Amino acid sequence: MAMFSRREALKAVGGGFGWFGLASALGASATVEAPLAPKAPHFPAKAKRVVFLFLNGGISHVDSFDPKPALAKHAGKPSPIGNPKTERKTGNLMASPFRFTPRGQCGTPVSELFPQLGELMDDVCVIRSMHTDIPNHPPSLLMMNCGRNVLGTPSFGSWITYGLGAENQNLPGFVVLCPGKPSVVGAQLWGSAFLPAIYQGTHIANNEQAIDPEKLIPFLRNPSLTPQQQSKQLALLRELNREHLRARDGDAELEASIQSMEIAARMQTEALDAFDIRKETETTRERYGAHNFGRGCLMARRLLERGVRCVQVYYGAQEAWDHHADIMMHQKLAVNADRAIAAFLRDLKAAGLLDETLVLIGSEFGRTPTAEISVRQFLQNGRDHNPYGFSMLLAGGGVKGGTVHGATDDFGWYAVEKKVHVHDLHATMLHLLGFDHTKLTYHYSGRPFRLTDVEGAVVRDILA
Amino acid sequence: MCLGASDPGARFEAGVRPLLAKNCYACHTATKLGGLRVDSREALLQGGNSGPAIVPGDPDRSLLVQAIRHTHASLRMPPSGRLGDAQVQQVEAWIREGAVWPGASAGRSNPDTFWSFQPVQRPQPPPVKDAAWPRSAIDRFILAKLEQRRLSPVPEAERRVWIRRVSFDLTGLPPTPEEAAAFAADHSADAYEKVVDRLLASPRYGERWARHWLDVARYSDDVLFGEAPNFYFYRDWVIEAFNEDMPYDLFAKAHFAADLLPGVDNRKLLPALTMFVDAPTEFTDDDRVDVATRGFLGLTVQCAQCHDHKYDPIPTRDYYSLLGIFRSTRYREVPLAGPEAVDKYRAHKKAVEEREREIRDFLATESRQLAEIFAASSARYLMAAWRVLGPAKETVEASAAASKLDRELLERWILYLRSPAKQHPFLREWESLLAEGAPEARMREASEAFQTLTLQVFREHRAVEEYNNVLKYGAKTGRELGDVVGKTMPRELYMLWQELAADGNPRASDAVPDAREDGVLNFRGDKVLRFLPAAWSEHVAGMRARLAGLKKAAPPPYPYLSIIEDAPEAVDLRVFVRGNSQNLGEKAPRGFLSILKDIAPEPFTKGSGRLQLAEAIANPRNPLTARVIVNRVWAHHFGQGLVRTPSNFGQTGDRPAHPELLDYLAARFMDEGWSLKRMHREIVLSATYRAGAKFSPEAYAADPDNRLHWRYPRRRLDAEALRDSLLFVAGSLSEQRGGAPAPLDDATNDRRTIYGKISRNILDPMLTLFDFPNPNQHAEQRIPTTVPLQRLFLLNSPLIMRQGAALAERVAREEGPDPERRIRRAYQLLFQRPPWDSELHKGLDYVAPGNLWSQYAQALLASNEFLYGD
Repeated sequence: MAMFSRREALKAVGGGFGWFGLASALGASATVEAPLAPKAPHFPAKAKRVVFLFLNGGISHVDSFDPKPALAKHAGKPSPIGNPKTERKTGNLMASPFRFTPRGQCGTPVSELFPQLGELMDDVCVIRSMHTDIPNHPPSLLMMNCGRNVLGTPSFGSWITYGLGAENQNLPGFVVLCPGKPSVVGAQLWGSAFLPAIYQGTHIANNEQAIDPEKLIPFLRNPSLTPQQQSKQLALLRELNREHLRARDGDAELEASIQSMEIAARMQTEALDAFDIRKETETTRERYGAHNFGRGCLMARRLLERGVRCVQVYYGAQEAWDHHADIMMHQKLAVNADRAIAAFLRDLKAAGLLDETLVLIGSEFGRTPTAEISVRQFLQNGRDHNPYGFSMLLAGGGVKGGTVHGATDDFGWYAVEKKVHVHDLHATMLHLLGFDHTKLTYHYSGRPFRLTDVEGAVVRDILA
Repeated sequence: MCLGASDPGARFEAGVRPLLAKNCYACHTATKLGGLRVDSREALLQGGNSGPAIVPGDPDRSLLVQAIRHTHASLRMPPSGRLGDAQVQQVEAWIREGAVWPGASAGRSNPDTFWSFQPVQRPQPPPVKDAAWPRSAIDRFILAKLEQRRLSPVPEAERRVWIRRVSFDLTGLPPTPEEAAAFAADHSADAYEKVVDRLLASPRYGERWARHWLDVARYSDDVLFGEAPNFYFYRDWVIEAFNEDMPYDLFAKAHFAADLLPGVDNRKLLPALTMFVDAPTEFTDDDRVDVATRGFLGLTVQCAQCHDHKYDPIPTRDYYSLLGIFRSTRYREVPLAGPEAVDKYRAHKKAVEEREREIRDFLATESRQLAEIFAASSARYLMAAWRVLGPAKETVEASAAASKLDRELLERWILYLRSPAKQHPFLREWESLLAEGAPEARMREASEAFQTLTLQVFREHRAVEEYNNVLKYGAKTGRELGDVVGKTMPRELYMLWQELAADGNPRASDAVPDAREDGVLNFRGDKVLRFLPAAWSEHVAGMRARLAGLKKAAPPPYPYLSIIEDAPEAVDLRVFVRGNSQNLGEKAPRGFLSILKDIAPEPFTKGSGRLQLAEAIANPRNPLTARVIVNRVWAHHFGQGLVRTPSNFGQTGDRPAHPELLDYLAARFMDEGWSLKRMHREIVLSATYRAGAKFSPEAYAADPDNRLHWRYPRRRLDAEALRDSLLFVAGSLSEQRGGAPAPLDDATNDRRTIYGKISRNILDPMLTLFDFPNPNQHAEQRIPTTVPLQRLFLLNSPLIMRQGAALAERVAREEGPDPERRIRRAYQLLFQRPPWDSELHKGLDYVAPGNLWSQYAQALLASNEFLYGD
């Protein structure tokens, strides 16, 4: 096997993927220059950006977007197909306490948990046949975010920024908004693993204590210099660096370093503005809601408007939607989620951005149609984790709205029709961004890696 | 190998090969089920018992395709279920295009010929034309190749540049102006040697080079799901090992078998065994195999977890042979204190916990009884509330006094009755009666009905809870509890109990957006004492005083090591077919890699096999261990290794640019007692290392990657060297060595970065920015990036502002009021040179208007000259 020179490999970065990983694996002697420069994908695509509104913890599909009349009929009775192994013991079938009605022109049924989002179903495709592998949070969160059930692979956002670079060089390419640490896995969910560190998500703890962008982003502002003082300091630095460069034959790496300082200087203004939701009107902030997820969605919109490539908004810290004991708790979260998601989609659409932004809404898995009866719970009115079947909502960027794809069985246990594994979702996400998911690779530890491991098929039915 | 292009070979690598590996290799490689192997084009053409598996160009006639389409009468593969359509189509397309198998002739690296598996040679340095240039054998290897290509090395670096380079390289810090001046003035024959010997003898050497090793060891001060108070003993042990130049073979062996090695002070080596505990989670034996094999042997053995290694001669069985060794170990804590101290600490801790529980239980019991007592007077309180809310419109005070009821409780009831958010219907009737102005008798009737129900619900809740508590007591872990079926109540009844009696949830969270008050009748903690006779309060106060006394007398927590030791029973694993632990294949007796079988031919049977593994790794006949470590050392000195994939010496890794030099170094390393310091000395005293960083268009055209070492590469300081140097030149760096880590973003932390807290969960933002590797996995090498966020750090971070101010103060203190002298001193401290006139004037102009010394100092610290080493 011939090894290509690092230089040759670097030259190929713009064209072929997979080269880049090889290039950086080959030598650490020089830095990777402009790793976030915008790159063209494999083929033209509608979606240029991705946003994942992540209802972490596991929203119940049978209570939100996958109505199961059979549950009401058989409520309190044993599940005729038995209870598949989930995290904990579950008992008899439990009807959804929430009423479903057809919404939009398309008539996609949505439960009363999401009245406002219901109005927008003509723009939304509901995949009802999602499935994943393991009924526990950490592996399923890793699968949904990083394409494997175990630690050690890059997040989807890292892959996307690696593949596409950043549209706006003055802002991070991949931003993750979560008020704290989701689950026990935390930063691994947006980590870049073996991809260069520059592709990891920039985590912003968007909690109520930190609405001021200067507190949100480290090192964004100099607390003791006025802008005038700083620009004078920058001018001095520029001159010193130029002189240093002249004495070193115009070394390309030093040149790149000087460039990055110029960008940093611009970034100080741009990022400050992008993350500042206080610049929105009172009415707008009210529409999104005065809670972490609402603020996160509003911030996400501002970032997308400014060309941030990938944004993930976690509903909350820990495992917010994880209602083992009492499914009625979904109500309290849905009030916030419904309002924020609807405002977000409406604004994106009004700004003409929805067409080129792929929006995903969903969880790492769904919940059981049966009630959990483990002694751990104070009440047996909740549902356990269900990796065998759940729903995911897609909108915008090349997705066929007003549609429902696939189905679970009569009770919502298993995906049975047109099954979509998380790998397939990832393959579709990359396809919508213009990538052949089998070719967006990175050479590491002796072999090419990719987001979809060795799996994944594009779900063509949902493409507009 | 070509991954990006769209030729059939690329499609094979990206799609078909992984697909075959995942779905077929388990049965159709060495095992050859049905006589078929599918791991080479030849094998597929030859086929198995049913004939050739593929007909290149004709998918329909290919048995392989018929089998995976499930169209063949009997062959339906894989047995676990049909592949997806897309996958089948990939295989079809591949065969249609001729079944191109890239590198078909090479296939797997051949164990008999592949370079890294061959014994280390002792090559003689080659002859060179320019006999004056070489200063060591290393240089003759380097120069011979340059001469072959008609190239020559760029001129030697000036002394100032060299001492700066070697100081950063060996200690992670720049030289002081005094050190640089002394060296410049030293015209003795061994001037360079004296500098190197001084640097290698400095404890700062270990603080620098231990960090390089900690990348290999994916060192961190915590685990993914929690804290670890004592991993730093390992970090300090590594620093010490480097500083005392522990032979690398012993260093390596200690990581596997510090407790078992004969003829050494085992206790002193024990911290090495922490490396295998200091892992992302305690369940990651896979990670242990990876760090052991990539770290020490430069082999990607974890690629063989689900199928035989596709490129190197590493069968799946080898992976499980190694995994079995780790599965035969267990976790152990080794107290670093005498048994009395340990016993005393544990006994005390237990006593404190008991006393705390005693107080908690006492108060909980009282408050629960109080709630039940109050539940039994619910009707009286409801009637009193009616007198406030109803037509009588009494004040709360008056109503409480009239009925001899507790005012606070009555206030709570009223608040509750007014709340619209009740999650049960049982007060609806009472509320509608109130609303319609019903007479007292009807209100009383409704109040009493509610009280009866409440008492019933309390009894039921108590019964459910007692039943569940018995079950909970029986199960040991949360996971086990998940499978134990408990009792429950109907939701509305439970909610009634919760709203009246449960403990509140004072802080709202994302999962529970509403904070919940304590239940109406719940007076918990000290709130209950108001309702109890004075003797009860005195009792509680007495218990608390005893607890406080006990805590005051607490013995200090004793330090301990976290290590692995042999489990009582060693286990041999079976191969997990396709990596699935539920699907077991052939036996994999504990043992060494089959490729290196002549080093350790027998299965490992002594305990877990750790000692045998250690000896096999450190065996001088092992062709990999010495090559891998000298290549790592080379890579840190020159920015790239002789092999540019330092943890992958296999087929898919790089080939050495100077195989003879690598072997010369590896052999010499072993001959000289595996001494790293001698290796450094030889390298940094070479003419190769002395070369300047000057650009040469001719050499660049011939060798743009500088693999031939025609110049020394210019490099940016890494995260540690940058932070340490900022502190050092500003005069702030602490000399304190070793001990517990402190957060790096703490303003008072002025210690070297290696002593900063490394977290697997939230990595320090500065480390992240400057390419620190993910501590959750072994890091082959760091990949430097140049990004604006780094610049923001240099412009705005508290660290740089503090050090800018400290540097300004330092030069003022040392040089007095003369601005020119201050600037000259700053240049000496940072760059070990005087400023040019133009620089001096720029500086003077900058500081003049407002005495802007801190800003000026900060600009110098943020400059490229400080950030990059020539």
